[in-house]
Amino acid sequence: MNRTTRRSVLRGSAGLVAAAALARPYIANAAASTASMWLAQGFVPEEDEAYKALVADYQKASGNTIDYSIIPFAPLRQKAVSAVAAGVVPDLMETADFQFLYLNTWKNNFLDVSDVFETQKEHWSKNAVECCFAYNDVAKKRSYYQIPWKSAAVPYHIWKSLVEKSGQKVADIPNTWDAFHNFFRPVQDGLKKAGMRNVYGLGYQLTATGVDPINTFNSFLIAYGGENIVTPQGQLQTSDPQVKEAAIKAATFMAKAFTDGYVPPVVLNWNDADDNNAFHAKLMAMDFDGTISTEVALYHDKEQYDDILTMGLPLSNEGKQLPAQVNTFGVVIPQGAQNVPVAKEFMKYTIQPEVLNQYLKAGLGRWAPPMPEIAKNDPFWLEEDPHRKAYTNLTLFGPTIPIYEARNPGMAPVGAENAQMNAVINVMKNGMTPQAAIEAAFKRIETIFAKYPIVQS
Amino acid sequence: MTSVSAIQLGRPLAVRRHGLWDYLRGHLKGWEYLWALAFIIPYLAVFVVFVAYPIVYGLWMGHDPALYRELWADPIFLNTVVNTLIYLAVAVNLKMFLAFLLSGFFVRPGWWVKALLIVFVLPWAVPLLPTFISVHWMLDGQWGLLNNLLWVLFGIDGPYWLDSHWIALGSIIASYIWKFMPFWTVIFIAGRMAISPELYEAAAVDGATGLRRFVHITFPLLATLYFVNTLLSTIFSVGDFATPFFITNGGPALTTYTLANLGIRNAFDLSDPNLGVATVMTALPLMIPLVIFMMRKLRTMAVEQ
Amino acid sequence: MTVIAVEGRARARTDVGALRSVRVVRRRRYLTNIGAAILSVVLVIWSLLPIYNMIMVALDSHSDVLSTHVFPPHPSLYSFWIVITEGYWYLQFFWEQFGRSVFLAGMVVLLTLTIGSLAAFSVGRLRVRHGWLVTNCALLTYVIPASFLAIPFYRLMAQYGMMNNLWAVIAALVAFTTPYAIFIFQQYGRSIPIELDEAARIDGASPVQIYFRVYLPLMAPALVAIGTFALLAAWNEFLYQFLLLSSTKSMTVPIAIVQFLNSDEAPWNYMMATAVIYALPPVVAYYAFRKYMAAGLTMGGVKG
Repeated sequence: MNRTTRRSVLRGSAGLVAAAALARPYIANAAASTASMWLAQGFVPEEDEAYKALVADYQKASGNTIDYSIIPFAPLRQKAVSAVAAGVVPDLMETADFQFLYLNTWKNNFLDVSDVFETQKEHWSKNAVECCFAYNDVAKKRSYYQIPWKSAAVPYHIWKSLVEKSGQKVADIPNTWDAFHNFFRPVQDGLKKAGMRNVYGLGYQLTATGVDPINTFNSFLIAYGGENIVTPQGQLQTSDPQVKEAAIKAATFMAKAFTDGYVPPVVLNWNDADDNNAFHAKLMAMDFDGTISTEVALYHDKEQYDDILTMGLPLSNEGKQLPAQVNTFGVVIPQGAQNVPVAKEFMKYTIQPEVLNQYLKAGLGRWAPPMPEIAKNDPFWLEEDPHRKAYTNLTLFGPTIPIYEARNPGMAPVGAENAQMNAVINVMKNGMTPQAAIEAAFKRIETIFAKYPIVQS
Repeated sequence: MTSVSAIQLGRPLAVRRHGLWDYLRGHLKGWEYLWALAFIIPYLAVFVVFVAYPIVYGLWMGHDPALYRELWADPIFLNTVVNTLIYLAVAVNLKMFLAFLLSGFFVRPGWWVKALLIVFVLPWAVPLLPTFISVHWMLDGQWGLLNNLLWVLFGIDGPYWLDSHWIALGSIIASYIWKFMPFWTVIFIAGRMAISPELYEAAAVDGATGLRRFVHITFPLLATLYFVNTLLSTIFSVGDFATPFFITNGGPALTTYTLANLGIRNAFDLSDPNLGVATVMTALPLMIPLVIFMMRKLRTMAVEQ
Repeated sequence: MTVIAVEGRARARTDVGALRSVRVVRRRRYLTNIGAAILSVVLVIWSLLPIYNMIMVALDSHSDVLSTHVFPPHPSLYSFWIVITEGYWYLQFFWEQFGRSVFLAGMVVLLTLTIGSLAAFSVGRLRVRHGWLVTNCALLTYVIPASFLAIPFYRLMAQYGMMNNLWAVIAALVAFTTPYAIFIFQQYGRSIPIELDEAARIDGASPVQIYFRVYLPLMAPALVAIGTFALLAAWNEFLYQFLLLSSTKSMTVPIAIVQFLNSDEAPWNYMMATAVIYALPPVVAYYAFRKYMAAGLTMGGVKG
């Protein structure tokens, strides 16, 4: 009756099963002149456009092709982790968070790119060098595993209009640490008196999710003298009494600001973008957040854009200049990349100062260049715009230290579980004393760091 | 001797089992059996390639005992386990119980009941992602709709729904019930409608109405359905990543994580996929008995019918 | 006269009694109705509040999104216009992504129904020996829930070369919806007498013919119910799409929506407008097929 007999159907089904289970349809060899790249989606469309222009220029100049995927930030993290774990990787990957580079270099998952790094070696900023000089636990030494593209620091963002509305003056903002932060208490009081129901003075990121709380805690720690919690050689100093005392002071100050009601209670739920939204909605007068994306997002609204004051760090309570924590993000080549020559060629192309400058400028200057002379030679950075000027100065021309993850990757899991900010939250919400909270946090940090011993060479 | 034993066994001598093929085949004739196999092979293929293999692979990923020690040392692990248990115990059972009660309401006659049902099912029909994001904003303490409403209607400053551990957990449970209760309500409604009306009439004649009717007729007949549904829902909910993720994302301060969220966080945020798998493996001692229990229950249901 | 009077008084007494019980019944019904009315109002508010929030934000203009209001102060359909015309950079491929979501859902439905009904037919009607093993294996799928399996699944998809490939997501979703489908099909199938199959077999029909001519038509309500269930499951799904589809050229709408959460510009009105449009197909599908949902999903689950 039917041409398809039961046997042929059975064979067909079995054949499909076999094919599905055994076939490896993944085509291993890309064409010799194509390299693939994963890039994090920017925070404004201009960043993506700048990248596409960069690739187009390279393709024209070299004849090679870059097959890129622009991936939203959050999924990129998962994908990057899984890709490296599975060994199925693109030729180039952009590092978009604090952990990816250092944790994977520790496990020897990336290629050493010192040869590319050296091509511009006289141009790199100190921070670019420090952040890209990562420790490889298989080789038991440091080397350059990342090519720098962008530097980021954490400035303060302040609504001038809110300060004025509260009756205070922007010119009166103090220049030492505690006084600076406490300045925003009367700002909040004044605004509440002026009738704004839902406004707060201090936008501290007292949350356990995301990168911002790490930055916040570290800035306070550094301000109170705990800068060397991890030494440049990668040794953990949580037993150092100066570090401990600085941490306790930091926890005390932040927790008190919260319990006194000067920080929005919702911060506990924030992730990395929520503070920007809250700031844009004028729910707080001050935000401490990385890069000037807060301002750049309002670039097309001149009035608001000009209303924000971008400030670097105040001095310490003793009047000393404080180092800013700066991170330099860039591009890596994972082990297992199919087309290393083109990948390296692309890297070399992009880090030429003019090319890099063009790329960063087209992205509205949200990221600072990792080369001081770019900033000095092009008025775009230090002259045209007050926000960029403050930000570039903060990132390139003041004292800086790299993120702690660069010194020892053990800081990465610590940051991922936000052990530091958890201590503050324990003080705020769970009634622990700062001493006990910091002791507990430090103990946790020590447990984690035990897995990342760095040999002193 | 042989013939006696054959007769005693009640089996004609001539028929003997010819090995595995005949054994498996059972009562089906040859070519029919091939069709039966052919029909089952697509599912088996899907199962082996996309379920069995990943499960085995996952078990292998999570086999190192050092991972479990690491988990135990994580300060939020214990809290996460407790959250998961509370979530399962409260959310699933409350949802099922309310669904059951509401199904009684929805079998009432009247066009407006049917219209209400249409509205009631909307939360389930609408996709999860945007509605949960909407709930997350709605519950925002500063500018969310719920607190705005409370202020406008009653003049009270609503609490911060997401900012304290217990209220946040409650918000997650409430959102979960909001989204998934309609589905189970519909199932119970159909279950009730499948009870033949003659039973009710007979009961009415005997004088059983209202509560007595419920206790003696409705509940026993629906009990199996209720029980199986609860088991099934518990199993579904252990892996519910999306609800806590979008409502609170673990906030405040990672205190409302469930095992599913912690697993994903460990796998991807901490760049440790093996740890992530190990996290969810800790739920196995709970899951396996549930599933075995359910399979056994279904088997007896099959036998009964 | 006395008799009449007595009768009249007796009747009056019973009338009074009847009247009282009628009044009691009427009051009880009145209270139940009030209770029902209150419950209805509560249910409507409960069900619609988050959806109202979604629509309200979609109708907001940009600056109003984060302000404290209950009705949109300056409602406008501008956000919807932006979405439909793909006028915002996160939305530039919206219709392509929407098409992909539709394709994803469609294939999940088709494959779930096909594979599930074939397996249920084989186990339940053809009575393959030890067929219950298949059903139980199927339910084993749920022992390790979908979100847990994501990690090994991701790695295996990478090895199979199926990254950024919609079929990987389809495969995952089919693997997770089919067991429930088989379960329901078997339950529902119990209400179809096996004699029909046997009659057809005696008439010389092959299993294929029995499947198409006897089984499928009688299973129609269950098929529609599971089809709708699979559609909604695919439309509700998030994690696998999030992990497996990441470039703007392979995304589906939920991933496009999640991009907004990353943005510093906070165009929530656009995001919610996207969400409202995304919400329409499953709602329409559900309301078109809801009659079948109830019947199909429970037949056989209750004796009686």
